Amino acid sequence: MCGIVGFFAKSREPAELGRTVLGMLRALGCRGPDSAGVALFGAPHDGSFALRVKLGEGADLEGKARKLARFLEAEQRCSHFSSTAAYARFLAAGDRDLDRLASAIESLDRDFEVVSIGHRLEIIKQTGSPENLEKTYCVSEIRGTHGLGHTRLSTESRVDLSHSQPFWSHGFPDLAIVHNGHITNYHQLRRRYQQRGIRFYTENDSEVVAIYLAEQLRKGAGLHQALERMLHDLDGSYSCLAATEHQLGFVKDPFALKPLVMTETDDFVAVATEEIAIRSALPGTYSVREAQVKEVRVWPR
Amino acid sequence: MAEITCGSRSTREINADIRKALAAGEREIIVREPGARHNLGVGILEPVRIRFAGSVGYYCAGLIDGPSIEITGSAGWGLAESMMSGEVVVRGSSGNGAAAAIRGGTVVIHGDAAARLGVSIKGGTVLVAGSCGYMAGFMGQKGRLVVCGDAGDAFADSLYETACFVGGRIQGLGTDAVVEAPTPEDIAWLDSTLAEYFPGAPRGKQFQKVVAGRKLWNFDKREWKVWQEAL
Repeated sequence: MCGIVGFFAKSREPAELGRTVLGMLRALGCRGPDSAGVALFGAPHDGSFALRVKLGEGADLEGKARKLARFLEAEQRCSHFSSTAAYARFLAAGDRDLDRLASAIESLDRDFEVVSIGHRLEIIKQTGSPENLEKTYCVSEIRGTHGLGHTRLSTESRVDLSHSQPFWSHGFPDLAIVHNGHITNYHQLRRRYQQRGIRFYTENDSEVVAIYLAEQLRKGAGLHQALERMLHDLDGSYSCLAATEHQLGFVKDPFALKPLVMTETDDFVAVATEEIAIRSALPGTYSVREAQVKEVRVWPR
Repeated sequence: MAEITCGSRSTREINADIRKALAAGEREIIVREPGARHNLGVGILEPVRIRFAGSVGYYCAGLIDGPSIEITGSAGWGLAESMMSGEVVVRGSSGNGAAAAIRGGTVVIHGDAAARLGVSIKGGTVLVAGSCGYMAGFMGQKGRLVVCGDAGDAFADSLYETACFVGGRIQGLGTDAVVEAPTPEDIAWLDSTLAEYFPGAPRGKQFQKVVAGRKLWNFDKREWKVWQEAL
């Protein structure tokens, strides 16, 4: 199971992104009661990066937020620190070495994990329903141009915040994915990446999709090409959505084992596991169709 | 005519309303705002006309025997699965596994069909005005499957006696699928059937016919190579 959604507003003006993605997710809550999450692309911060840090899985979050705040006070060019529930968020100047900053933060406390870094990307995820996500983080108030969402039914790894989706491609700003299915050559790929020193933060097979796409983009592939290469290199069942600062795309596996439907109008593109997600969040007259086997689509801004 | 508006009500309530209308002797029911809900109109056994004004989710019109069901939007996975008789018409497109394992009746899709269209059909007719996806017709035992547009990869794989017809290109044939010329009877049947459902469709003589090559029907170890390829 699992439910995935993607929304892409064609207008450059920020839309009610959070409300739309949350509305789509609510309809897929029954496909994934374990956890819910969104990756939203909002307004940029004048060249700075927004960092979202997981503080922990529940205990003494306020103490951990203070610990991170103290660390950042001594850091250069970090500002706008805030914390809500399990997350801290702050901005870092665009010329900072983000990999070094992220690993310094993650070595402060074993619970800390940098969940997303981006000019515009913000990932918010936790265990529980889309309703809970809204209650804790007021997701519906966030404006932006495009985003992803996920409801999770765990079948192969633990249920906690880190194992929830969307996944950010650690070390690659503004790249996020959601995945429904199983990557059956996950262990082989994971070993290969680990031998090259790439760190896996979870035991969730979907994490490898984010790592794989980041690798392809680093090699110079466009998002469309990277998603097409996935059909060759990743085995198993997958309907997968990926988003960068300016693009939204999807790929469907070579056996069409997982559902994915899409619609495109003059105003927006919406992609989801089930049509009910699109219909319940987006009023209007439009037609919806199932993606075909091996289909890859990317919408650029 | 009975009118049922789905609004924010549950699928169970909507289906119960359909049952109530049937029990009251209604023979024409319109269901408004279905909102792509799953499991609508399953197991209907009366010769009734039901129109879903909008899109439906998974398994709509499954296990039916006799009704005529129209969907003005699109349909999700498992449309009309295992139907015995009747007619199911979708004005939009269908998801995976439409008309899987039907034993009779007619399934009509005006848009495109996704993967695994009409797999394992044991009778009946499946008509698609647009194109169909991967693995359509797999293990079809009887009946007819007609695709006016293009057919996807692995078309008509491992067939028994289903006859498949394609008006456009076939991306790839499945194992043991063989293309042959349609007979005059096939052409006459295609022309009359398509005139009824898709007036703009290609003429019968423009279709390719795909049937079983019968190489997989009986196991013979002298044909081990064929089996190796098939499995």
